[in-house]
Amino acid sequence: MSLWFELAASGLITGGIYAVVAIGLNLQYGLMRILNISHGEFLMVGAYLTWLAHTVLQVNPLVFLPVVALVLFLAGVAIYRLCFYRIVSTAPAVEVIEARSLLVGFGLLYLVQNLAYLAWGADLRGYTFLAESVEIAGARFSANRLVVFAFAVGTSLALLAVLRYTLTGKAVRAMMQSPTGAQLVGIDTKVLHPVVFGAGLALAGVAGALLSMVYEISPAMGEPYTVTALIVIVLGGLGSALGSLLGGFLLGVVETFGMHFTSPSLKMVLSYGVLIAVLLARPKGLFAR
Amino acid sequence: MKLRNGFVLLLAGSLALAALPWLLSDFLLALALSCVMYAGLAVSWSMFCGATNYLSLATAAFFGLGAYVTAWGAGALPYGLAVVAGGLVAAAFAALVGAAVLHLRGAYFAVITFGLGELVRHSITYYEKAYEGTVGRIIAEAPESTTVYWTVLAVAAAAVATALVVRERRLGLALRGIGSDEERAQTLGVNARRAKILAFALSAFFAGALGAAMAVRWTYIDPPTVFNPFIGFQTVLIAMVGGAQTILGPIASAVLFSLLTEFLRLQFPYLFLVILGLLLIVLVLYLPGGIASLFVRGRWRRADA
Repeated sequence: MSLWFELAASGLITGGIYAVVAIGLNLQYGLMRILNISHGEFLMVGAYLTWLAHTVLQVNPLVFLPVVALVLFLAGVAIYRLCFYRIVSTAPAVEVIEARSLLVGFGLLYLVQNLAYLAWGADLRGYTFLAESVEIAGARFSANRLVVFAFAVGTSLALLAVLRYTLTGKAVRAMMQSPTGAQLVGIDTKVLHPVVFGAGLALAGVAGALLSMVYEISPAMGEPYTVTALIVIVLGGLGSALGSLLGGFLLGVVETFGMHFTSPSLKMVLSYGVLIAVLLARPKGLFAR
Repeated sequence: MKLRNGFVLLLAGSLALAALPWLLSDFLLALALSCVMYAGLAVSWSMFCGATNYLSLATAAFFGLGAYVTAWGAGALPYGLAVVAGGLVAAAFAALVGAAVLHLRGAYFAVITFGLGELVRHSITYYEKAYEGTVGRIIAEAPESTTVYWTVLAVAAAAVATALVVRERRLGLALRGIGSDEERAQTLGVNARRAKILAFALSAFFAGALGAAMAVRWTYIDPPTVFNPFIGFQTVLIAMVGGAQTILGPIASAVLFSLLTEFLRLQFPYLFLVILGLLLIVLVLYLPGGIASLFVRGRWRRADA
């Protein structure tokens, strides 16, 4: 029994991180049709910023979290203005936006990842933070994983609340339902697009900062998370933040159980298997009505 | 470009390239090989994706499958036959997969084709580990490097020839019709499903054959090498930067990219990719029709290109 509890809990912890990464990407895609394939690179940037702050300035990673979010938010606004604004405003059709933004995403991926290699080298970096273990209901977890889980879920829920209960959130949801309709009732695309893009990067950065507390980091760490985020988005449905949260948990649990009962080397086979099965059976996502 | 002119150009080009082994040093020949390979990959990719506007990221999967056909058949299959078999396996895989996923469009299609490539790669890794007890395979009897070069050249030339023919035929028209408006094309009587699966399999054939032909170059192959997503991305980049609606564009940009890659990558591995990324962003933003759009004002230019 405690094995099942432990597996489920560690699946949910992994899933919480997946959810944060995926919600950011999903907002960008749902609102602007920008499939930002370099999403994971900004997660990596967040991880490195936190690592730098901790090792050089001895700042508590949790205290540093808002700084990471703010830095990446501003970076996101700048990147949107420099790269994606032109695509969104000149492309004749939605499909063209998707194709071009995917290519620009690849460009950003090369750019950011290799700048990180130039700056910090290929070595794994890490620091210890809250590594002592805590016992809950007979299962043992290291404290940092629990903190990471709490922050990941907290961030996701806060974002869901913003989307649901604030005027800005309402505007974002309106834009997702009907871009033209939203503009007709006076929602300003020029403000909302960069803000949401920046928020997406901020979420990636927060996820990276959280991950750096638990795992060792390297410039290549982002890519697998991008792929996982894509899977989660498809599971939960494009444009649905709640779907991403549930999809993240689902994938985390499926992966953890699958790896325990088969073999860890099958992890990617499992996640891609889930992705392809879902895409074929329910192309609109598991939770679509 | 008229079909006949295209063929004359292709024939002259291939003959000139076929003479390279006598003219170039080993290093330069390896460089030429990489140019020809990417030209073949990019042309075969554009054959389907350029015309239909479907963004397939499965090239690495087809390439790797072809390479593994050579590796598995090493000793039993002669080299020439392995190349054809590699192409056929990739084409069969593409037809099967295409039947299942070609109804998806846009980002969904891109993501699932990428996922399929990774799925095949991880499945082969797992299979080899669990049942064969190996991680990679050694190809003991490799043909001469000139033989490899001529084979790759022949496959690439065949890809270009096929692309030329397809473009002039009903299939090419159907694909372009699907690219500009799939529903309209269907209303006008195009069997979109059949055309897409056929073209997808055709384009996979050449990617698989190129993979099978190139596999012997490595002597040791393992899934991360031959299913390297970089091969797939590089192909897409080359084709789109060159202009995926044309045939000459991808060829020209394949040469450009391969030369850049070989010269800069060895000396400045990270800086090179930074520059590549920057170049890609600038090109997509300011030259969305590709290099070809600078020169071609032909009848194949699409309204949105």
